[in-house]
This record gives sequence, C-alpha cells and structure tokens, in this order.
Amino acid sequence: MSAIFEELKQAVIDGDEDITAELSQKVLDEGINPVDAVQQGLIKGIEIVGEAWKAGEVFLPDVMMSAEAMKAGLALLEPEIAKLGISEGEAKGKIVLGTVAGDIHDIGKNITGAMFTAAGYKVFDLGTDIKPEAFIAKAQEVGADIIGASALLTTTMVGQKQIIEYLKENGLRDKFKVFVGGGPTSQAWADEIGADGWAETADDAVQLAGRVLAK
Amino acid sequence: MLPKYNILTEEQVQMIHDESIKILSEVGMEFEYEPAVEVFKKEGLKVEGRRVYFTKDFIEAKVKLAPSQFTLHARNPEHNLVCGGDNIIYMPGYGAPFIHEADGTRRKTTLQDYENFAKLAGASKNLHMTGGTMAEPQDIADEIRHLKMLYTSIKSSDKCFMGSAEGRERAEDSIEIASILFGGKDVIKEKPVLISLINSLTPLKYDERMLGALMAYAEAGQAVVIASLVMAGSTGPAAMAGTLALQNAEVLAGISLAESINPGTPVVYGSTSALSDMHSGSLSIGSPECALFISASAQLARFYGVPSRSGGGLNDSKIVDAQAGYESMMTLMAASVTGINFVLHTAGILQYFMAMSYEKFIMDDEMAGMLLHYLKGYHFDEDGLAYDVIAKVGPGGHFLTQKHTRKNHRREFRIAELSDRNAYDTWAKEKLDTNQRARRKWQEILANYVPPAVDAALDQKLQEFIAKRTQELM
Ligand code: B12
Repeated sequence: MSAIFEELKQAVIDGDEDITAELSQKVLDEGINPVDAVQQGLIKGIEIVGEAWKAGEVFLPDVMMSAEAMKAGLALLEPEIAKLGISEGEAKGKIVLGTVAGDIHDIGKNITGAMFTAAGYKVFDLGTDIKPEAFIAKAQEVGADIIGASALLTTTMVGQKQIIEYLKENGLRDKFKVFVGGGPTSQAWADEIGADGWAETADDAVQLAGRVLAK
Repeated sequence: MLPKYNILTEEQVQMIHDESIKILSEVGMEFEYEPAVEVFKKEGLKVEGRRVYFTKDFIEAKVKLAPSQFTLHARNPEHNLVCGGDNIIYMPGYGAPFIHEADGTRRKTTLQDYENFAKLAGASKNLHMTGGTMAEPQDIADEIRHLKMLYTSIKSSDKCFMGSAEGRERAEDSIEIASILFGGKDVIKEKPVLISLINSLTPLKYDERMLGALMAYAEAGQAVVIASLVMAGSTGPAAMAGTLALQNAEVLAGISLAESINPGTPVVYGSTSALSDMHSGSLSIGSPECALFISASAQLARFYGVPSRSGGGLNDSKIVDAQAGYESMMTLMAASVTGINFVLHTAGILQYFMAMSYEKFIMDDEMAGMLLHYLKGYHFDEDGLAYDVIAKVGPGGHFLTQKHTRKNHRREFRIAELSDRNAYDTWAKEKLDTNQRARRKWQEILANYVPPAVDAALDQKLQEFIAKRTQELM
C-alpha cells in the first residue's frame, strides 16, 4: 500500500497532473484510505517541492505545476473523504483569492495561490476583476479562513478597502482574515484600511498566514 | 549618425513575421470592446464572439498604411520631434507608483513629483520631450488625475507630452485640452501633438480601456504607441523567439485596428517585453533578455516601415547603485544603437517600473547625453581628420596649444555633467558618489528652472475647461 503513496508523492514532485489523477483514481478503485493518500502522498510531495524552491534548487514552474498536480489529486480524493465523513487531517486553512475589480493583473496572484497550495492550504481562485461581494460570497460558501485580494494599480487598491468595508457593513468582519498584496500596496496601506495582513511576496504571505491563523 | 545595428538575419525576421501571422490567423486575438470587433467585422475578418482571426493579406495591407515617420508638434516649434527614420527621442519614465529617495526610503508619488519630473525633462538637453504619467499623482482623485497631469505638463514645459490612455473618455479629454492649446481639432488632426501608450493585454488580448483610447486617438489623428509587454515565462512562453513572435502578433493586430479606423494614423511599434524571474516571478527588465527584445523590436519595426518604441534606462535595482547603472546602460544602449526611435522610460526608473528616483533621473540623463554623443559617431571632414595640425605638431609635440584643439574639442568631445573626472584629492574633499552628486544636481536644476509661460488667454481657456470637467467628473 505504501508503494502507491510513494508514487503519488513522486507524481506531485514531477508536477504530473495526469499521473497524479490516475493514481488517485487507483486509490479510490482499490479502496485505499484516501486520507492517507493525501497525507502521505500528495502533501509529502508538495512539501518537498516547496522546500526545494526555498533552497533555490527548483523554480517557480516546478512549484506551480506540482500545485496543479496536487489539486488534480485532491479533486478526486476529497469527495470520497467527505463521503466517508472522516476528517481530512490537518488542512492548514482555506483561502479565497482574487484580483480586485478593475484590475486584470494576475501573475502575482497565481503565484500566491500556488504557494498557498504548496504549503497545504486549500485555495479558491476567483480570477481577476472581482467585486467585493463576489469575494465574500465565495468565502461564505466555502467557509474560508482568509480572503486574499491582489491589486496592482494605485487606482484599484481601493477595491481592497471595499472588501473590508463590505464585511463590516454586513456584520461579517470577524468571520474572515483579510490579506492584501500586489506591487503598489504596503504595510502602511494595510494598516490604513484595517487589513489583517500584508505581504510583499507570496512566500511571506504563506508565513504570515501561519502566524495569523495560529493566533 | 551611426548605422543601425541588426541582431537578426533577414530570414529570421521573416520567420518571426510568419509565426506572428500564424498566431493571428489560427489562434486569433480577443478584443474586449464591441466597437473594435465591429471594425474588424466590417473589414470582413472572421469573428467568433470577441475573437478575431486575421489574415496575412489584411495585416500586411493595413501595416503598409502606417507612415514610416511623422512629426509630433510641440508648443514651441523648436521642440517639434520627428518620430521615425534615424531619429531618437528620449523621455522620462512612465507610470511608477513610488518614489525611491536617495537614501533608499520609499514613498508614494504625488502631483508635485509629476511637476518636478516635467520640469527636469523640460530643462534637460538630452531629453526631447516630457512624457506621460511621470509619477502617478496619488494625492489627486482618480477621476481627474488625467486633467491635472495634462495641465501640469503644459505649464511646466513647452516640449511635447503624452495623452491619457485610460479609456475613451480620458483620451477625449486629452484631445480636447490639446486642441484648446493648439487651436482646434482640425489643426491637430493635420499636425499631431499627442502621443499615447496603448498596451495589449498579453497574451493575445486588448482590453476595453485601451481599445477605447486607441480608437479615440486614431479618429482624432493623434499618434499612438501600440505596445506589448510579454513577460517571457509567465505571460508568454519561456522562449525568446516565441515571445518575440507573440509580441509581434499583438502589435500588428493593434496597428491594423488603428489603420482600419483612420488610414495613415501615426503609430509606433512598441515593445517592453522582458522575462519573469523564474524564482520569484517578478518582472526583470535590467536583463540581457530584455536587451534582446529591444534590439529585435527595432529591427522588426524597420521591417514593417514604422517607427519603434522600446528600451530606456531599465533596471531592477532599488537605489542608484552600480546595478542601476550597468543594467540601465545595457538597455538604453541597446535601444540607441539598434535604432529605437521613441525611448519611453529613458530617465528615472528603478525596480522594474515600480519606482521613479530623482537621482536616477539625473544619472540616466547623463547616460542619454553620452549616447547621443556616441550616436553622432565620427566627423570625417577636414577638421575631423585634422591632417594639417598633425603635420604641424609633428613627432613629439603636443596639441594643447593649437588653435585647432581650442576650436574643435567642443564639437568632438562631450563635456561630462555628472561623471566625476577629478583627481583623487579633489574628489576626496567631499567623497560624493553618483547618487549624492545627482541629488545635488536635480535640486539645483529645479531651483533655477523657469517654465516657459503659457499665453494668458489660452491658459484661461484651459483652466475653464478643466474646471468644467472636474465638476462633471467629481
Ligand atoms: C505585466 C504587467 C502588466 C500586464 C498584466 C498581465 C497579467 N496577466 O497579469 C499587462 C500588460 C496586461 C498590464 C496592463 C496594465 N498595466 Co501593468 N504591469 C505589469 C508589470 C510590468 C508586472 C506585473 C507582474 O506580474 N509582476 C510580477 C508579479 C509576480 O509581481 P506582483 O504582482 O507584485 O506579485 C507579487 C507580490 O506583490 C505578492 N502578491 C501579489 N498578489 C498578492 C495578493 C496577496 C493577498 C498577497 C498577500 C500578496 C500578493 O506576491 C507576488 C509574488 O511574490 C507591472 C510593474 C511591476 N513590475 O510590477 C505593471 C504595472 C502594475 N501596470 C501598470 C499599468 C499602468 C497598467 C495599465 C493601466 C496599462 C499601462 N499603461 O501599462 C494596464 C491596466 C490593466 C488593468 N485594467 O488592470 C502600472 C501601475 C501604475 C500605477 N500607478 O498604479 C505598473 C506599475 C507599470 C508602470 N510603471 O506603468 N500590466
């Protein structure tokens, strides 16, 4: 049985979506414990890639493809885990991510999403040009811990503020942590609008999430 | 003038062209603006939703309509600029949201910064025009920033300046302001005065705002730079030739739109393609890859017979240091020697377009001056060859007391304005590095600069229009 976990781990390291999906299907077909497949296979693989990226041994495309592979595996295994009514184990948290209204810059957001996935978070990426209400609707739907909003233009940063205002207006401010980021943003801006976190890089954002959610 | 340096063979240029046509005809491009899609439909192109499929004949015929060069008119005709041919136009950086101070601290840009850069460009011998969003005025409400920026450009200098590319409405405001200043829309339609920066949304799209502005300017006969910024590795393939073909496809599609709307619209082939750093994902512009894109873009534009825009003092450094210098010189020199005509971002940029720096502006201005001198090349006339004086001095003498030397050195040599050529002890009195010398210099220039006055009646009209629009927009 541990052989298939090893293969899953390797498939994620290789960033191979197809093989990861194939192996995950095999886990289901053979009645292997899906939680173990996630914990000992998928997550082990992504952790190794994440560490190697930090050490400068692998590059962004490696991490991002591994994150994609992991998602493909989770898409198959999670429904089964839910059906069995067992706990998925210690998923670190859920984050709803998007680029704010009027803004179409998405590379930084995509990287941030991949880094969160690689760190074991569940990421719901809404895409670009997203209105405050759409962020919050999704966050409520999935029971998110964090709402992450990316803005690359000085003229669209206000969209991050609007998310916080919208939460306040609807009595939801304490339900979610709000993280903001993107080129023109800063810690000063995050403080000004009352965000729970700001990070300059995707990597810092993941570290910050760990600290904020641990509180 | 030095001959322009080509980095691609003729076959390679043709290959890029063919690849771009293949991308445009088989993959197509999306235009998120119905009026633009309509234009292509009328031209008989295949359209599916917002996806337009181009043909080789269409692209080639439309690109032929673009002028190979055009004159951009300034308030002071001495500053009129010919864009195209052998000419090079240097101007400040564009769009940055931050100022990096000489000590490395960072702050938000304001309208005062915009005005300062307009004045520094106005005062410069090496910068030919002032530019566009030289610093985003974040202390001004977004709705009216474009009005304030245009007015500030006009009041700070009599050189050419840029219009707003933020959608049709702001483009129309820019055109209105320019026509007040220059005596009417029909006047500026004949003699373009504005040039604006239209960007594709890589890969293979144009958004509504950019298309709206492009159409407004094309209709009004104003010049547009049609540019693509591909980040190889993220918004484009991790392939230099493939990225070039992708960029080229996007620019060709944009040019074909401008020429369909108004045949003969002055366009500039633009590129700021570079790469995504494969560890962090950040854009890297102070790179040899960026210099390759700059160089190939100059050559592609020549192939199509249109002026080109690329390059600048591009770098990824956060402060005026050696990295800022060596990277910027590589990209500015690449642009200059390969024949880029319109060099946006010549002066002031730090950290991959995120910041402007006053000190960097002055350093880049010096580099621009050095390159302008370099581009002039040698004088092959009698004084330039100087046979008579060589014969006169003969073996073993020196030239310092010759009339020829006194008369010619100013033409033959450039006087350094920022570089320190002193002996050690002179330098050691204050031990100022480039950053500190530049700081002194820009403060001095700003303190002494007197902007050329705008005719009072015109000024009145401009202010009235801006007041009226401000009321409507706020
Ligand atoms: C590539 C690019 C584009 C591409 C976007 C392609 C795409 N698919 O994303 C195109 C060409 C389409 C484009 C268009 C425009 N752009 Co643009 N663009 C850039 C550029 C050069 C790079 C952006 C990028 O991807 N960086 C790389 C990524 C990895 O960095 P990042 O996004 O900052 O993300 C990192 C962190 O910020 C953080 N992060 C990001 N998101 C989040 C979210 C959270 C929650 C957290 C915690 C962290 C986090 O993690 C990331 C990884 O470490 C920037 C300048 C720059 N160097 O940033 C200009 C820039 C942002 N653009 C600018 C402008 C003006 C525009 C345009 C208006 C057109 C124009 N005139 O150029 C349009 C606007 C379109 C729109 N409506 O949004 C300006 C903004 C200036 C301002 N004053 O606000 C900039 C600064 C360039 C400039 N100097 O002019 N652009």
